[in-house]
Amino acid sequence: MSALVVGIGNPDRGDDAVGPLVAARVARLRLPGVEVVTYDEPLALVEHLPGREAVVVVDAARSADGRPGTVHVIRVGSAPLPRDTAALGSHGLGVVEAIELARALGRLPAQLTLIGVEAGAVDMGAPVSQQVRDRLEDAVRAVVDALPASTPKGA
Amino acid sequence: VTHKGVGEGRELTAETLARVEGEGAMHVVVRDGQVSDVQLRIYEPPRFFEAMLRGRGHTEPPDITSRICGICPVAYEMSACRAIEDACGVSVPEDIALMRRLLYCGEWIESHTLHVYLLHAPDFLGYPGAIEMAGDHRDVVERGLRLKKAGNALMTLVGGRAVHPVNIRVGGFYRFPTPAELRAARPQLEAALDDALATVAMASGFDFPDFEQDHEYVALRTDRDYPIEAGAFVTSSGHAFEVASFGDRVAEEHVPHSTALHARLRDSGPYVVGPLARYSLNHDRLPPTAREAADGAGLGPTCRNPFRSIVVRAVEIVVACEEALRIIDRWSDGGAPSVPVPPRAGVGHGATEAPRGTLYQRYELAADGTVLRAQIVPPTSQNQSSIESDLRGFVQARLHLDTEELTRQCEQAIRNYDPCISCATHFLDLTLEEA
Repeated sequence: MSALVVGIGNPDRGDDAVGPLVAARVARLRLPGVEVVTYDEPLALVEHLPGREAVVVVDAARSADGRPGTVHVIRVGSAPLPRDTAALGSHGLGVVEAIELARALGRLPAQLTLIGVEAGAVDMGAPVSQQVRDRLEDAVRAVVDALPASTPKGA
Repeated sequence: VTHKGVGEGRELTAETLARVEGEGAMHVVVRDGQVSDVQLRIYEPPRFFEAMLRGRGHTEPPDITSRICGICPVAYEMSACRAIEDACGVSVPEDIALMRRLLYCGEWIESHTLHVYLLHAPDFLGYPGAIEMAGDHRDVVERGLRLKKAGNALMTLVGGRAVHPVNIRVGGFYRFPTPAELRAARPQLEAALDDALATVAMASGFDFPDFEQDHEYVALRTDRDYPIEAGAFVTSSGHAFEVASFGDRVAEEHVPHSTALHARLRDSGPYVVGPLARYSLNHDRLPPTAREAADGAGLGPTCRNPFRSIVVRAVEIVVACEEALRIIDRWSDGGAPSVPVPPRAGVGHGATEAPRGTLYQRYELAADGTVLRAQIVPPTSQNQSSIESDLRGFVQARLHLDTEELTRQCEQAIRNYDPCISCATHFLDLTLEEA
């Protein structure tokens, strides 16, 4: 398995559940050569990035003017991701920090894409908002599009 | 981080504490050369788990409470199991208790390593964070990640999954790992023990501010071993009490600036749980390699400088590796992986040593096992008053520093306690007074 899809988030916290929800839908597509996992600790990424041809990470995001459900796609390139803004990722030890740590250790895969779904309320016990539910399939499509071309799509 | 002058005084504010699990904020006010106010503020959405547990079946709390924290799920599961079993009048046989200890060792390795290497070491080595530190000290960070991975592997072997272990049930486990699986884990743990010893050596070489604190320490203690998954309470002022007396000895109160309850001993006030308390109250219970490492690191039988907690955490990683190897070596086949826990009406108490300190839970059950009331007291809420008192003394003695440097050092002082602010918040309707 050379492609990995990672959903990050806490299923008990409103829109923070979007990472695992999108990951579950991607898993149901049974794409050959694609492993799908969920973590609620972003640092786990550092351990699991090496040796992969392509990795797609899905997380709840917060940006200054975003509306819940907006799907952001960020291809991680050679420039470091900005870390002083809450542009992406909703976790204390965030996805962005995990990726930059992996970069510092020379562990980045050839292709790494972040899919950030703009989150509304993330209170404990809150349900996933309708705005985010309405965009789940868009996020799934963004994940599939970010996988290498050789991976059969939409099976 | 923001800082601003206020008349003759100044305020130190860290709006979002970096490298603290969960989210929190610190607010210190200095007026006329005196620290007039210190608040560790918590604005993580309130935890609703105690409310959510009411009405659930008696077998459900381990699974539900494990979701409170992605860093220490085992601690929540273990305290919940012990409390429910206590309510039902069941005690588990020795092999189940040992397997629980083995699982818990994995969590200690994982959680302590995360804190020592990725959250706290950058303070001592002069970096804003682990990423910058990795540039100059790649071997150090690689060692930390290797150790953390060994902890994860142990949790996966015994718990079924590294985060939110799924193999745990009231009464024991769904299945035991086989002796062959356990033996196969040995080489990684032996390497982890070497890495843990290197961690003690590294941490003991850091510079520590002179900052002795006479906090009252509270930890579990057992007849035999270093406390992890079991024990009764002891305190540094010489008191001892059973886990069931926790509620008689400890009061939880709320303070206006935090949604977490502050805990205090009813007869002596604030206290500290965690590595420093455990170590100082159980130095004679350290296994041999860990004892030697502590001696080599220059730690005495007690440690009263919170900044040295990073050394004590490193010693406790040695404890966890050493204990894990010992348990694996003496494991034969084990009997049944669980015992029946038939429900009955009653109250049960459970306390175990989470990496950050003692985690207490109490359940009231109906005759059919329905949870009538649940209480969860995590380590960080017990330490919160003492963290604030540390900051008060620490800032007062360092007012000559510029605000930015002082703020940075305050954040380091808070990290001494590895506060898990997301677990420390309770379900409460609170009106926050003043900004």
